[in-house]
Amino acid sequence: MARVGIVGIGHCRFGNSSDYDLVDVIAYAAADAFTDAGGLRLRKEVDQVLVANMAAGMFNHQSAIASSLVSRMDMEPCPAELVENGPASGASAVKLGYMAIASGMADVVLVAAGELMRTVTGWEATDIVATMAHPEAEYQMGLTLPGFAGMFTRLYMKKYGLTERDLALVAVKDHANAAKNIYAHVQIPVTIEAIADGENADVVNNYVAEPLRMYSTCPITDGSCAVILVNMDSPKAQLFKKRGVRIAGIGSATDTHCVHNRKDPLVLDAVRLSAERAYRMAGIGPKDISFAELHDAFVIFELLISEEVGFFDRGRSFLAVRNHETDLDGRLPINTSGGLKAKGHPVGATGVSQIVELVRQIRGEAEEGRQVKDPKYGLAVNFGGFGNNVVSTILARD
Amino acid sequence: MIDFSVYGGQTPHISGYRCLGCGEIYYPAPMVCRRCDQKRDPVTGKGWETFDLEGPCTLLSWTRVWNLPEGFNRKYLMFGMVEFENGLRAAGRLEVEGEPEIGMKLNARTIEADERPGKPVKVFLFS
Repeated sequence: MARVGIVGIGHCRFGNSSDYDLVDVIAYAAADAFTDAGGLRLRKEVDQVLVANMAAGMFNHQSAIASSLVSRMDMEPCPAELVENGPASGASAVKLGYMAIASGMADVVLVAAGELMRTVTGWEATDIVATMAHPEAEYQMGLTLPGFAGMFTRLYMKKYGLTERDLALVAVKDHANAAKNIYAHVQIPVTIEAIADGENADVVNNYVAEPLRMYSTCPITDGSCAVILVNMDSPKAQLFKKRGVRIAGIGSATDTHCVHNRKDPLVLDAVRLSAERAYRMAGIGPKDISFAELHDAFVIFELLISEEVGFFDRGRSFLAVRNHETDLDGRLPINTSGGLKAKGHPVGATGVSQIVELVRQIRGEAEEGRQVKDPKYGLAVNFGGFGNNVVSTILARD
Repeated sequence: MIDFSVYGGQTPHISGYRCLGCGEIYYPAPMVCRRCDQKRDPVTGKGWETFDLEGPCTLLSWTRVWNLPEGFNRKYLMFGMVEFENGLRAAGRLEVEGEPEIGMKLNARTIEADERPGKPVKVFLFS
């Protein structure tokens, strides 16, 4: 199979970009990726464009944005398609880009991603995101993703002894990382006193979906990012100035649409299977991973995913957080970017953003104080729906 | 061949589904039975039967949601996930006096809800 590397990355600062046109926001990140790779002229070498987005039709009243992006970037007649796979759209687009190269149909693929969610109110955004739930058995009931995450968290607490303070510790870690990340939405550190231990913590950190609080939940974020994939064995690879960060493994899997139809609601089979497939392809195991970006739309997900991918035994991940094992200077740094919790979660773009973070860390280009020491393998887990469509990606430093 | 256009819209309802090929039960409806591969015809229901999904159930987990989506003009709503005596599970709205407890016995019924635009819909109420 062809060796596929990432030779260019682009990323805008996540936050509020809703006064701008969605395609401009995505195109800016794509242009940055070409600049990073060696120059904007390299866009003419692209054989395939894939655009990741979840809900431009609902958030922005726009459709067919892949066609629009190609034109905005002066890249016609390059083939272009939109990839929509809920919040896993980003990693799915990278996976499809990999497959395009592995199949021999392309040597260079641009994967650009973006979502502008702050064009609507928070209530509308919550509703739009909830449309990924089962229409009859979940959405119609009034259930939302925070609602499911709340029920999920309560069950985990009862079974394993997790506390609300443990959830706050994850948020404190993620915010500390985001405070050093120039691309993060919320670049403000928070203290455990402010959001859990202090007398005003209940006000600062109010409930969203009990027992989840505001600091257990990602913000509503706009943002864009892009990566350029190249067949590292193709003559075209020589055109790019940066040595590719190799995609060592990709795995994906699905699970029941309705959360209640899982044998054990606390088991995320699709996460475990996707990671196992990625490990198998890369020829490594969880112990080889140097750092990871895990899809913490709710901080409980960071804990659960870290167990499902084999970093910690079931019900033990929060003890590792208490022991600072997942801090930037810990044994296994998790969500070095600040994660979805603090870097932000522009839904369709998140998977690509996670992969941009892996590339930055593996290249040694993260900001001072945020660089992981000598990383060899990075794992990203991009989680669609309530864990019903998951893509795991492993990047390697060769 | 199936022609969805020749029948009127179905009235909102909540049902359990039983495959007549093997007896496996479901909620919500699948298109293909996991046990015997029998296909469900969504227009005629051929090969399947429906049954009311109401009555005694056990609370598996619950939450009180304070950031409700567009259309819900309430301070909060409680939601729960339950298991019925036949083993099927469902998620829906929860109304109990005091603080709910995982494992408590509840009764499930359907009510009409009209918070969102369009026709009212049937939702579960566990109480």
